[in-house]
Amino acid sequence: MSLAPAHLESLLRTRQLDRTLTTALPPLNPHDEYAIGSTGVTALDAKLGGGFPRGQLSEIVGSRSSGRASLLLRLLAAATARGELVALVDALDMLDVESVAAAGLDLDRLLWIRGHVASHPGLCRDMNQRAMEQAVRALTLVLSAGNFGLVAFDVGEAPADALRRLPFTTWLRLQRMVEGRQTICILVGSEPMARSAAGLTVSLGVRSLDSGFRFRDRLFEGANVEVRVIRARSRLHEEAAVRLTTAVPEGV
Amino acid sequence: MEFSPRYQGHRDDLVSIDVRGLERLLGTPRTIAQELRREAADRGARVHVAVAGTRMAALVLALARPGVTVVDPGEEAAALATVHIDILEKLDKIDENDNGDTRAFAALPIVKQWGIRTLGELAALPAPDLAARLGRQGPAWQAIARGEDLHPFVPDVPEERFESSLELEWSIEGLEPLSFVLTRLLEPLAIRLERRDRGAAAFHVSLRLVTKEVHVRRLELPSPMRDVRTLRALALLDLESHPPTAAIDRVTVVIDPTPGRVMQHTLFTRVLPTPEQLSTLLARLGALMGQDRIGAPATVDSYRPGAFEMKPFATDHDNHRGAAPRQLPREYEGATSGPRPLVSVLRRCRQPVPARVAIEGGRPVRITTDRPGFAGGSVVSHAGPWRTSGHWWEGKSRARVNGPGASSGMRSCRGNWNRDEWDVALTDGAVYRIFRDCDAGGWFIDGIVD
Repeated sequence: MSLAPAHLESLLRTRQLDRTLTTALPPLNPHDEYAIGSTGVTALDAKLGGGFPRGQLSEIVGSRSSGRASLLLRLLAAATARGELVALVDALDMLDVESVAAAGLDLDRLLWIRGHVASHPGLCRDMNQRAMEQAVRALTLVLSAGNFGLVAFDVGEAPADALRRLPFTTWLRLQRMVEGRQTICILVGSEPMARSAAGLTVSLGVRSLDSGFRFRDRLFEGANVEVRVIRARSRLHEEAAVRLTTAVPEGV
Repeated sequence: MEFSPRYQGHRDDLVSIDVRGLERLLGTPRTIAQELRREAADRGARVHVAVAGTRMAALVLALARPGVTVVDPGEEAAALATVHIDILEKLDKIDENDNGDTRAFAALPIVKQWGIRTLGELAALPAPDLAARLGRQGPAWQAIARGEDLHPFVPDVPEERFESSLELEWSIEGLEPLSFVLTRLLEPLAIRLERRDRGAAAFHVSLRLVTKEVHVRRLELPSPMRDVRTLRALALLDLESHPPTAAIDRVTVVIDPTPGRVMQHTLFTRVLPTPEQLSTLLARLGALMGQDRIGAPATVDSYRPGAFEMKPFATDHDNHRGAAPRQLPREYEGATSGPRPLVSVLRRCRQPVPARVAIEGGRPVRITTDRPGFAGGSVVSHAGPWRTSGHWWEGKSRARVNGPGASSGMRSCRGNWNRDEWDVALTDGAVYRIFRDCDAGGWFIDGIVD
């Protein structure tokens, strides 16, 4: 006897046999810190339903200078403030330690993994592709170890084609590794990369070229950015935009 | 040790041995004593042996009488009665629990002036009067004179060596067969460590090769551990980076023990990776990325732009458990008093990107580079210049001189710098930190605001 597709999907959802086939997950309790990791920004938490979900791949995407790294460091700082250990796979080795300290991160709780990227690959065009694959292996090792509160994979400045050349199964495999765990896994890039393996994707953008960046009296003060949820599997799809500002800390 | 595991070393020339239970093995107490003397003679030592019901009586008789002396239990006082009182001088510091009660020397001449010559005469003195005149030494001497023990027998505990070896009938090559051998050697060691409540602080893997060379690796562990899988994984990861040059025909593992960690689990704090998990993870990451590419970042006391250092990532964060969560800087706490800004961070180019900058009116108006991904554009807004310089007493920074590979680890903290920095927003929609090297005159992109 053949089952109607709707009946079959209902059975799958009930038994949660394969979450990738379901279009939506049960809503998460925004006050359950074992299900949600707060970003440390109340306005953003309100739009995200409490924060970034644990046990899912999430993405922070946007163009250069859209505030991705700023938001990522805020997430890491909030996680270390909760007493969690965090890991950052810095595929292109661009982390600025002074900025990390200014963001309030507990440096002793941050495992920093610095990738190898050649500025001039020369004739060896596959060198940086191998470096990208190496960074993915490092991410896999960290997720396998488990019990990190937040693990971030920062490829914000990587060329888009280098990420597209990674097998699509990479993200499905990573999503399986993090599923059911207490780890928030964040992928930072210029465009969504995890596709159907992603749980929550937020997009950042500067409001406008003229008013987005604040320059005053020979000082760059910061940026006005918009954060928009473009994909959320654990709640109804909601077009939500939050306006945030970034500010350059003193002394940096 | 060969006669009895219960022995106490008092001095280099004086040892107490508990021989209870040896009658079934060796025979009468006299036989036991003769056997001890013979064994010592075989090893080139001439010893005097006394066997008695109490340790103190045996010690005194061994010091007082040559050869073999055997006293039946209960006859100690009678056996000691004829021993000269000068024997008390030889009993100094024989017991680590001694609080100075047996110190005779200051008062011994006084006792001799009284006409006391033997331990029997000393034991016969009235105890209260003796204590009144000599203090607590008096009763202690009388106890010795009667052959009574002042302190319990505390046997010395021999230092246990955690070592295991396996001679292979057929030599092995590669890490996979070695993995099985290591497991076989580590499992009994781990059991012994657990029984002694010890962990491994370091362990040595010694591989004797078919070329008769010995390949030795020593691993310092970040925290005491005895999990076989973790120890084996760490050893294999290390040998993967430092492989032996030939096949192996003997494997030896030696563990340096240390008291185990005391861990108290709680239901109310978040689970963290265990030290074993972190040690294995760091070893694997080190083998994959290089040991100098992983760790915890640390700031340095320097004005040099982008200066930092890396320190080993701690594997034991248990001391943070139960502590109150750290408070983020006040301006980042929620929106109760209005939205608070994120910290605007910089993405550093470890090697600054050379750029061509067009200048008009003393300010940059257009920036281009040859680097893929840094096309550049016209300047929409700018901030600067801001002069930063330092370490003028040193030469040029080696990071710029030697090229991209120089600062694979810590960013170079040597060499001077002298630059004018700008923050510029370009038509490509990004904000960059650029600088002009005042000494060399070139322009570079130092980072991207993101």
